[in-house]
Amino acid sequence: MIPVKYNIRSLRTRWVSSLMTILGTALVVWAVVLTFGLADGLDHTLAVSGEPLDLIIMRKGATAETNSIVNEAAAREMAALPGIASDAVGEMLCSPELVVVVNTPRRGDTGSGNMILRGVTPAAQQVRTGFQIVEGRENRPGLREAITSKQMARRFEGAGLNEELDVFGNNFTIVGLFEAGHSATESEVWTDLEVLAQTTRRVGIRSSIQIRANSADDAQSLSDRIASDEQFGLAALSEPEYYAEQAKSSRAIKVVGVFIAVVLSVGAVFAVANTMYGAVASRAREIGTLRALGFGRRTILVSFMLESLALCLAGGALGCLAALPLNGMSTGTANWVTFSELAFTFRFGPWVQVLALLLVAVVGTMGGLFPALRATRMKIVDALREI
Amino acid sequence: MKFLPYILRNVMRNKLRSIFTGVSIAVSLFLVTVMFAYVNMQDEMAIESLKYARIVTTARQGLTFPVPIAHVDKVRAMEGVKTVVPLAWFGGKYKDDKIPFAQFATDPAKVFDVFSEFTIPPEQLSAWQKDRTGCVIGEKIARKRGWKVGDKIVLKGDIYPVNLELTVDGIYDGPSTSDKEMLWYHYTYLDELLKQARSQMAGNAGTMFVKAERTEMLPDLMRRIDARFANSESPVRAMTEQAFRQMFTEMLGNIRAFIRNIAIIVVAALICVTGNAMAMSLRERTREVAVLKAIGFSRLIVLTLVLVEAVVIAVGGGIVGVLAARGLFSFSDLTLSGIPGFSTFYVPWSTVLFGLALAAAIGLASGLIPAWRAAQVSVVDGLRKVV
Repeated sequence: MIPVKYNIRSLRTRWVSSLMTILGTALVVWAVVLTFGLADGLDHTLAVSGEPLDLIIMRKGATAETNSIVNEAAAREMAALPGIASDAVGEMLCSPELVVVVNTPRRGDTGSGNMILRGVTPAAQQVRTGFQIVEGRENRPGLREAITSKQMARRFEGAGLNEELDVFGNNFTIVGLFEAGHSATESEVWTDLEVLAQTTRRVGIRSSIQIRANSADDAQSLSDRIASDEQFGLAALSEPEYYAEQAKSSRAIKVVGVFIAVVLSVGAVFAVANTMYGAVASRAREIGTLRALGFGRRTILVSFMLESLALCLAGGALGCLAALPLNGMSTGTANWVTFSELAFTFRFGPWVQVLALLLVAVVGTMGGLFPALRATRMKIVDALREI
Repeated sequence: MKFLPYILRNVMRNKLRSIFTGVSIAVSLFLVTVMFAYVNMQDEMAIESLKYARIVTTARQGLTFPVPIAHVDKVRAMEGVKTVVPLAWFGGKYKDDKIPFAQFATDPAKVFDVFSEFTIPPEQLSAWQKDRTGCVIGEKIARKRGWKVGDKIVLKGDIYPVNLELTVDGIYDGPSTSDKEMLWYHYTYLDELLKQARSQMAGNAGTMFVKAERTEMLPDLMRRIDARFANSESPVRAMTEQAFRQMFTEMLGNIRAFIRNIAIIVVAALICVTGNAMAMSLRERTREVAVLKAIGFSRLIVLTLVLVEAVVIAVGGGIVGVLAARGLFSFSDLTLSGIPGFSTFYVPWSTVLFGLALAAAIGLASGLIPAWRAAQVSVVDGLRKVV
């Protein structure tokens, strides 16, 4: 076996060419990793949003809270159903909520986005895992005050702490920033239920009721009971079910990601093949010498394949490293189910990295194969005679 | 010009390398063109829509709030208005496909006057106008799903608590920039069902599409429509169709910027790999370049020869890639069905030209360093050099 050191030295000797190839591969890997990182982030946000014991009650047939209408009386009846968990002081974990979509300008000159404004009562915080105020204070009932997440504060005009948010011509003061375990809740602005109902002329109307069941069995019997009651015309979905539907939107990004990955890999295979053909051609005499010394054809093949792989892996590693600083960077796009903006962060989970390195390995193998085969097919005499 | 045969011979000297470089550029530029087309097409369609002199009127609070149907007749009576139709988004499920295509309740008597660029056989139009539960569908859905006139379609309501049982009465067609993936049915049919179900959503026109007599009238007419309902129970916001379409594009949020950035990364990668290929071929030709200079060619000519060679290879690959992208839309479907504003895909000629210019720029940028180095080669060193 020819020592790998030989290949590494060769790469170093032709360093400009090697560097260009590494850089080219790195950029390709970077582009692919970023795309999959986007899909992974979107999936993650919607996945952590679902707590199996939490149920979302909406009008039967509605697939998003933004499309659902539940009247106040029905909402009150829901609170009395058996199987709902209660908090330390005995209050039922049952939260009537009103959701309104507000078209709001984005910060900087980048158009506008649809923001979810949710009217809530204090119970809302208790049915959301990991909810806490991290800056400022809670909004007070009866006042035009609101709280939101840091992500929203950065993305939307008027959503920052102590700023005034314009809601259909009414100003709401942002008095606090919250966290909610990186869930979809962090894409929302919260205010008092009755204040929002009056501002939007929706008094007596709720969009959904969120409840937490005592146990999995209770969750099942609650949703069966609600579904069978013809009078209300309501249905209960568990949160994971509800968000699974919305997570389908990340499918489009994944398809785009695979498309980008495949096309760019094909381009990269040709580029790597070029470099390796160049390497084989300019080292014909060396190859001849190695053969004359007694190294077999297979050894030569392996050696050049390893060289190609080393080149690509270096590029792949560089590309992955270059993507890491973007991990956790927040971004946002449309959630077409709720017709509003979903804020999420780039995430480069293990499968994204593995996928990227796999891609690089394929490119290295495909790109190196034919040049390496050419190297093995050289006749010793001809190769030694080459200049 | 007299150097052209020499340049072409140089391009073809190492056929394999030139082809590989070309292919690498072709596939990557194919990707960049498709990505840019996605962004540019939305903008082009928005601008294109201006010539139809249409205004879209939504509730002032945004698309998720209704415009009352009574507004339609009031606007129709206004000066400068040619016709008005309601266009209520139904957003229903077909079997289990959620929002498989856009479905709108509208006025069959006038909708083809508002969307005057759409065509439909007159007998199909009059059949639809007489059939209360009839609908017309775009040529593209008909093709995709194999639906013909006479087929039955049942749509389950998501936003509205009713189901529609429709018969296909006609299939419309239109120019390539228009949305041929819509389904239109009688507004009165939806409203009757809603009244039977005693839904609060009866009497809801969704949005109003207003066709003005002339494009110049749009700004004034929009102001008058806004003013007409400013003090009513349901104030509205009128905007040009261009602004309306822009709103959907903006909803994509950072995805647009992301697409642009990926394209930039790909171009940078291409400059690396193409530059590498050029450097390799010039290294092999060092002696020849020295001879050129020895017989009296100036530095400038040597520089130009190499640059043109790089541009020829890059543009050659570019033409293949960009035209493949242009050709793609005719036989494949790269659309986001059911999302308004995203159900057509084509590569605008402006994007084709941009892609070709990009290819030339990549050629220039990648040839720059090898060309400069070739121009600097001293005759004595070059002739002595063993490659």
